[in-house]
Amino acid sequence: MSNIGLDIAASGVNAAQTAMDTIAQNLSNTNTPGYVSETANLTALSSGEQSGVGGGVAVASVTQNNDSLLAANAAQTSAALAQSTALQQTLQQAQLAFGDPSSSSGLGSDLSSFWQSWNQLSTNPTSQADLQAVVDSAQTVTTDLSQASGQLTAASANASSQLTNTVGQANTLLSQVASMNNQIVKQGATGTSVSALSDQQNQLLTQLASEIGATWTASPNGSVNVAVGGVTLVQGNWSDTLAVNNAGSATSPNLQLVAQGSKVALTASSGTAAGLLAAVNVYLPSYQSQLDGVANDLANVVNTQLNKGFTTSGTPGVDLFTNSGAGSLTAVNITVNPTVLANPSLIATASTSSLPAASNDGSNAQALANLYNASNGPDVAWRTAVVNVGSQVSQINDQVQSQTATSNAAQQNLQSVTGVNQNTALVELMNFQATYQAAAKVITTVDTALQSLLAAV
Amino acid sequence: MTSPVSTGISYTPTVIASQLVSYLNADQSQQATLETQLSSGNVVNQPSDNPAAAGSLLAANSSLARAQEYSSNASDASAWLSLGTSTLNSVTSALQSAEQSVTALSGYALSNSSAAVATTTAALQSVLSQVTALANTTYGNQAIFAGTGNVSVAYDASGNYVGAGNPPTRTVGPGVSVAIAATGPAVFGSGSSGLLGPTGILSKLISDVSTGTPASIATATTTDLAALKSAVQTVTNQAGILGAAYQSVQGFAAQATNVQTALQTQISAVDSVNIAQATTALTQSQNTYQAGLWATAQIEQHSLVTYL
Repeated sequence: MSNIGLDIAASGVNAAQTAMDTIAQNLSNTNTPGYVSETANLTALSSGEQSGVGGGVAVASVTQNNDSLLAANAAQTSAALAQSTALQQTLQQAQLAFGDPSSSSGLGSDLSSFWQSWNQLSTNPTSQADLQAVVDSAQTVTTDLSQASGQLTAASANASSQLTNTVGQANTLLSQVASMNNQIVKQGATGTSVSALSDQQNQLLTQLASEIGATWTASPNGSVNVAVGGVTLVQGNWSDTLAVNNAGSATSPNLQLVAQGSKVALTASSGTAAGLLAAVNVYLPSYQSQLDGVANDLANVVNTQLNKGFTTSGTPGVDLFTNSGAGSLTAVNITVNPTVLANPSLIATASTSSLPAASNDGSNAQALANLYNASNGPDVAWRTAVVNVGSQVSQINDQVQSQTATSNAAQQNLQSVTGVNQNTALVELMNFQATYQAAAKVITTVDTALQSLLAAV
Repeated sequence: MTSPVSTGISYTPTVIASQLVSYLNADQSQQATLETQLSSGNVVNQPSDNPAAAGSLLAANSSLARAQEYSSNASDASAWLSLGTSTLNSVTSALQSAEQSVTALSGYALSNSSAAVATTTAALQSVLSQVTALANTTYGNQAIFAGTGNVSVAYDASGNYVGAGNPPTRTVGPGVSVAIAATGPAVFGSGSSGLLGPTGILSKLISDVSTGTPASIATATTTDLAALKSAVQTVTNQAGILGAAYQSVQGFAAQATNVQTALQTQISAVDSVNIAQATTALTQSQNTYQAGLWATAQIEQHSLVTYL
């Protein structure tokens, strides 16, 4: 009969010690970002003794309390939130182009002033002052249009440069993940714990998810493969770099993220990059084209009516709004006809060409004043654009709010499993302390028993 | 070793901290919205605040601007019409005095006729120049009896009509266009049946009276006088038409004012901040925020650590 009591007690002390060390590690890292709490897994040993007594306890492993499903969910929700937030910020900047609907300044009220100047002219069609007032208010409107357009262009440029920064950061992270893969595999091969490195790597991966919507799969040797939209960007210690490429034109952009190594364009469907891409490729061009629509409607209804009329000298009316550049009329290039600007008497206020009946006829001017609510006129188009932009921004605001709640909930769920609950940890610590003390007491008792045996001989 | 009983969310310090920060941010953004509303007095400060309201505000303001135009057109129209009416009343008085002068001639004994003839001729010439001047009345810089054909005068120095076209109009309501004057020919006639001009009734009268023969005087006091009376009736009728138009413009002016009031009420209903409500909400929000700040400051969590 061998005295295995000492061995058993010794194993108890060692196991309790390891367990307490693990709890100490957890408590020290309570606030470390990305830290996943660890558990010492104890198993009872068998001794092979005839008597059937066990062989003590051993720490089978120290494992991390990870839940890959919750972790993936937390990463996904935070990527979705990052996407909506990026889009929200850009759209809120773009919304400034559409002004304050309550204000007495801005395109809406400047259009009203324009129509009012026509009404005034109709009461005194030969008045130089009233003719000049029409020209001046026309210029105010064209200035408003080009300024609004400029603000949208600025928002787009802003978003593009943010995208470049995001991609730059993502590239740094990708290469860091690859080098960590290398470290983890090497360290894992030596048998020591890779938990700390793994936690650090998880932080990088979560950031990558937020930036470009990356997803990852772990391989058995501890290294991680990162992909976006099915395109692999990190494999083992190889990483790719991304660049932003415009597959469209300056006015009609189609920005894409392109993987430089594999020469493939990515489809980023979440993360900051996805939000910015949607803003630059879809939303902002649509707002720009709605503004261009307002400009075109203005030019069309005004020029059409003017061309139906005649000046007070009986000559046919000419366009008031023209295109200062090439191509189609836009909110940027709409301008007051320079001929009319130089000679406001060319404005067609009369409805008849016969003289002298045309010389003091303001009826065409009144017809122009009446275009304020034309269904194909600029006021209706402007109103529609404002409501459209407002609805989209309002929607994205709500989306950000609800996604913030979802993301917070996912984080909390993840924390419940991976986080350190101090109360729980301290109770466990007390338990293991008691176990340690009990096992130590067993050693003392067995020792005393041996002593009495030796004394007896 | 059994694990402790699971109670749903495990409130680790990280979870509590992130929740508090989240609530504080929400409070702050609500406060910012309320402060903007109170300082601007408007509920809608950007389209996303209330897109539908933004649309209806723009529409209401556009209609309000048009209604203001109707009002100003109505007052312009009223001024033209009342000037026209008073001018035509003066014309009528002048023509009636001409009538009296000519009527008085018929009773004179032929022996005294030369003095009477001279006096009457002078009187008639004075009426002719007075009526011609009245026919060239202007409102601002525009001759009111010239139709749309001439800015500055309706009748030239010889009394020929130099205007053209229809009378000018003003739009005083949606699709409502009111003529604000009468054309020279409508009031004063034209050619030999007209009052003015070298071939007109007054000229004919002057010529017949100044000729002085019994035959011409007889023509003057019968045929010409009858034509004059008929012309006076025309002037009076036109004055009546202008007067009626004036009345109807008053009606439209009142309507335009009502429309403006209704629109402004609508705008106010949609857009004005309820100060009491917003101030209360802001105070509440600020209190919640302060409580949140206090709670965050307590974030040094009390745990068993303190007690072991």
